Amino acid sequence: MNREATILLVEDNPKDEALTLRALKKANISNNVVVARDGVEAIDYLIGSGPDGSRKPLPQLILLDLKLPKLDGHEVLKRIRDDERTRLLPVVILTTSVEEIDRFEGYRLGANSYVRKPVDFTEFARAVVQLGLYWLVLNEQPPVIRA
Amino acid sequence: MKVLIVDDSLTIRMDLTEILDAAALPAVACATLAEARRKLAEEHFELVILDILLPDGDGIELLKDIRSIASARDTAVMLLSTEAEIRDRVRGLTTGADDYVGKPYDPNYVVARAHELVRRNADSTPGEETVLVIDDSVTFREALKDALEQASYRVIVSDTGEDGLRLASDQRPSAVVVDGQLPGIDGATVIRRIRLDAALRGLPCLLLTASEDRGAEVHALDAGADAFVRKDEEIGVILARLKAALRSAGAQAQDRSTASLLGPKKILAVDDSETHLQELAEVLRADGYEVVLARSGEEALQLLAVQPVDCVLLDLLMPGIGGRETCRRIKNAPGIRDIPIVMLTAVEDREAMIQGLGAGADDYIAKSSDFDLLRARVLAQLRRKQFEDETRRIREQLLRAELEAVEARAAREIAEERTKLVAELQVKNEELESFSYSVAHDLRAPLRSIDGFGLALLEDYADKLDDDGRQFLTYVRESAQQMSQLIDDMLALSQVTRGEFERAPVDLSSIARLVGAQLQHATPDRQIEFIVADGLSAEGDTRLMTIAFENLLGNAWKYTGAQERARIEVGTLDEEPRIFYVRDNGAGFDMAYADKLFGMFQRLHARSEFEGTGIGLATVQRVIRRHGGRIWADAKVGQGATFYFTLDGDIRRDASVKGRPELVRQSTLGTAA
Repeated sequence: MNREATILLVEDNPKDEALTLRALKKANISNNVVVARDGVEAIDYLIGSGPDGSRKPLPQLILLDLKLPKLDGHEVLKRIRDDERTRLLPVVILTTSVEEIDRFEGYRLGANSYVRKPVDFTEFARAVVQLGLYWLVLNEQPPVIRA
Repeated sequence: MKVLIVDDSLTIRMDLTEILDAAALPAVACATLAEARRKLAEEHFELVILDILLPDGDGIELLKDIRSIASARDTAVMLLSTEAEIRDRVRGLTTGADDYVGKPYDPNYVVARAHELVRRNADSTPGEETVLVIDDSVTFREALKDALEQASYRVIVSDTGEDGLRLASDQRPSAVVVDGQLPGIDGATVIRRIRLDAALRGLPCLLLTASEDRGAEVHALDAGADAFVRKDEEIGVILARLKAALRSAGAQAQDRSTASLLGPKKILAVDDSETHLQELAEVLRADGYEVVLARSGEEALQLLAVQPVDCVLLDLLMPGIGGRETCRRIKNAPGIRDIPIVMLTAVEDREAMIQGLGAGADDYIAKSSDFDLLRARVLAQLRRKQFEDETRRIREQLLRAELEAVEARAAREIAEERTKLVAELQVKNEELESFSYSVAHDLRAPLRSIDGFGLALLEDYADKLDDDGRQFLTYVRESAQQMSQLIDDMLALSQVTRGEFERAPVDLSSIARLVGAQLQHATPDRQIEFIVADGLSAEGDTRLMTIAFENLLGNAWKYTGAQERARIEVGTLDEEPRIFYVRDNGAGFDMAYADKLFGMFQRLHARSEFEGTGIGLATVQRVIRRHGGRIWADAKVGQGATFYFTLDGDIRRDASVKGRPELVRQSTLGTAA
């Protein structure tokens, strides 16, 4: 597993955040996890630049909730795909909703995967482990775009 | 545009050919029936001018032929014959002639009529015209319907007068064909009621009379029928009469305003004295009127039943029913009561005059050899009639406009109301949609926390809890998971109701096998004998039927859980319409509770025994209902359960399960609340 890899978790619910982090820990996925608590924070992290013009290193995987304050998940995804530097980043939508409209929009805007958060934590933990293993280990990362 | 003249007199042939040619109606003439038949087979004529007495037969026979040949049915036929017997005129007109002109004829009159017939024919191509047929004999009704449809009329049928009247006011047909003898109110009554209805009174009505009915003409006349046909006539004759009635109804609407006093007028003269009749005819013909002669009141009524006229000259003293009674009958007949009647009598008798006027005559004059007074009176009556027609037409137009305005307003209001309701429904649906969405999303998030942190407690702080504490936490988690399942099931149920419905051929065998494979995959340790019959095809919505099978087979899987040799079968009963079933040999249930089976949150088993939310069968029932089908069950405790369903709303199904009391009893389940 690529220990250097960063995961960006976009999640407004602190309890879900705690549960996700716990699931990652339980699965021994000790990667650096950055948490953005709303859509604007996520975009700032990914696309915004600091006062000196420096930019943060891009994460290897984005776990994106859909229902978010300020900017919702679909909007965040759209901006990621619109930005030259971030448009190839793997984005996994991790959400409670399995409504057809949400799935449709998610895939239409270019999500790489769509995973439902199960209520049962055991299942949820299993899902997070599989996601980590797949996206951080099995899957070959897209080439980094220098912008 | 071509005219065929059939007459054995060379003079008449030459005369007619010449005047018609001059009037831009190219004509071909022939002298015999045989020749006419040949010409008719060779080309199409818009109009045939036909004599009745021909060297090789009866002209009316040729008329019958024309009416029975489909391709010639729209040919107009004008009979032109010597007025020896009024019977010929009646016979000709009831056999489907469009007009009858007596010899000697006025050339201008013939040309005017010819023009009118050809023009009307061109105007009234059937297509959008609807005919209402009222007859209690199915055979005749269907035969007539076929013939009318072939002639491109739209046809609506009814088997009773009452129902026919309802249809007439609902659907506003262009014409009505009604049998004289009907189970309830008879045909004459139907026509009388139509004539009394302001909105329908102009509707052309054809009365079908029994062949043995001798007074048919008078009955038809009494009722106000536009025409009558004996039922044993060729269907072609009925068609021709109908077409003529429709033509003159259409023409009335357009022509009345333009028909002037100078236009051809038809006068019926009724007198038992042949001498006086001929004198009258000569004088009036000289004035340019077309004159029809009748020798008695009975003849006059017969004629009026088939051909309306513009004025009647009626002798008061005649053998038979006499002038007064004839006058009374004409004035009581709805279709012709407006025709002016001038009563004639030989005697200058004040009493007779009062009687005549009392019977409804419009004017009264003493017979004399000086016809100037008569001519003036006739002209006055025609002028008055014209004026009245004009007034009535205007009144009717106003009434019709008013009716149309009211109808348009009503239609607009209904449309507005509907638009409002649709909009409201849409808003409600959207609200429901967003409600379901919130439920799906927001209700689950806290559940995940309850479950997740419950587990976290169990894992990280197990040593600080005793057995009871750990048990309680397990209960907390179970409850959260159960509620999550409930939410999922309710959402599925609501999607079944609000989602789109698309009926297409579905292969239920494949759906059942696919769902079964998924269930088998989810429970790899279960050994189940799963049998699906081949070729279970139906018309339905694939998405919904998959949901139904997920629930039905899911139940079967669940309730056979304790079975050593579980067996689940999907098939169909050998019946029409098809009844499908899902059968298992599982736990079954007590039929005493069968009525609770399909209710929301209804469970027949303890949760400790079998998992479940009690929404599955309610969902299945909604799926089946959206297909217009029914679902019912048959079961015994410990001996398995069978769920039957149909997918079309065929009510004969009740009959098809006769002799199976248990099925009949349960079949009502599908329609229970």
